[in-house]
Amino acid sequence: MKLDIQAYIESGVIESYILGLATEQEVAELEQLRKQYPEINQALAAFEASLEAQAMANAKQPPAHIKQRLFKTLHEEFDDVAITATQPQAATTSGKVVSLFWNKYAAAAAVLLIVASAGLNIYFFNKVEKLQSQYLALVNERNSLEAGLNIYKTKALDIYNSMQLMSDPNMLKVSMPGIKGKENNLATVFWDKQSKEVYLLPNRLPQAPENKQYQLWALVNGKPVDAGLLSADCNGLCKLKNVPDAQAFAITLENKGGSPAPHLDQLYVFGKISG
Amino acid sequence: MQEEKKYSEPELVMLLKQRQEAAFSYLYDNYSGALYSIIQNIVTDSELANDVLQEVFVKIWKQIALYDAVKGRLFTWMLNIARNASIDMIRSKGFQNSQQNRELQESVYEQAGTTSIAVEQIGLRKVVHQLKPEQKQLVELAYFEGYTQDEISKMLDIPLGTVKTRLRTALIQLRQMLKHH
Repeated sequence: MKLDIQAYIESGVIESYILGLATEQEVAELEQLRKQYPEINQALAAFEASLEAQAMANAKQPPAHIKQRLFKTLHEEFDDVAITATQPQAATTSGKVVSLFWNKYAAAAAVLLIVASAGLNIYFFNKVEKLQSQYLALVNERNSLEAGLNIYKTKALDIYNSMQLMSDPNMLKVSMPGIKGKENNLATVFWDKQSKEVYLLPNRLPQAPENKQYQLWALVNGKPVDAGLLSADCNGLCKLKNVPDAQAFAITLENKGGSPAPHLDQLYVFGKISG
Repeated sequence: MQEEKKYSEPELVMLLKQRQEAAFSYLYDNYSGALYSIIQNIVTDSELANDVLQEVFVKIWKQIALYDAVKGRLFTWMLNIARNASIDMIRSKGFQNSQQNRELQESVYEQAGTTSIAVEQIGLRKVVHQLKPEQKQLVELAYFEGYTQDEISKMLDIPLGTVKTRLRTALIQLRQMLKHH
């Protein structure tokens, strides 16, 4: 699924976002998308720039007394900053006579600082450790998600390949419904008339018991010919033995490893080739 | 005005975050006019507009740590602060009362979505004024009066989807007009 990014940019969402008119959902979506598409950032920047240019060109100077009032209001804050910034200087200018006295205090202060800093170190160390374990947990979660995703990728690829096979014009589809008493069962053979390859799709077959295996038979002029065993790990379309010629296909349940001849009392499904 | 040092935007932001008074003074000199225009676009009473301007710069000074350059330009951030503060002002009780008095005196306002001529000749509203009437009305209500699309839909009795598409179209139009400004 590919987003038409140009259409998205031209949808008015850029302007809505900049002007503060976008809904929460639109904002979240855009902030996600802009990380992936530099085109979005360019469009945002361009609109911001033209909005700013227009506003600057149409500026209307406010009365001068507002600035004075504003700075008076904020003056205390500025002062606070100024005082904290100049304090260290004041300390260094104290006289020599009292320097010993000040040294004691400086030493005490230094010890306090060391203690405080050690405390902070422990605090930050713990914090870092906690973050590290959280980070590892996330990495693990990501890895397991990726593994899960790979499984789906493989499955999707299998399905895609199966579809390619099924839709091949040379492919003959032989439906094998369940025999009398086993009407619920169904399997399908896909037989390539050119390459003679045979693929089996076990649509509905009961789980084979531990020591048993399903075996496919091709009926050639009334005689059953072994066409391969269905392995337990077959999900979807599975390739069996090539069959050069056949009039019908059947599946029986045989002992593990298969039998040279079918046990007809263990017949599950049967399908004739039409035409 | 005296000659001032010119800062680049990142420089200015950095100095503001370090709470430098000189940088803040520069910011005010540079941007107060543009922000004053947008405030006056929304708050038509000039005394109240002055109050909002001061409030906006106090907010900028106090909240500069929250500004994130990754999200957008400094001006866009300040513009949104100015718009929000202005809309809060016109929604406040004091303003509504003063407005009622004014309407009795001189009936400057015609109806929802339109404002006095003077306001339409400054700032962004001047550009919006050039939009088609139906588009202009939507931008006026949404941007300058702060109504949500849902409220506009009910107010004008137009489906919400139509409000959304019309507003979007209007904004695209607005962008084109700003580009060729």
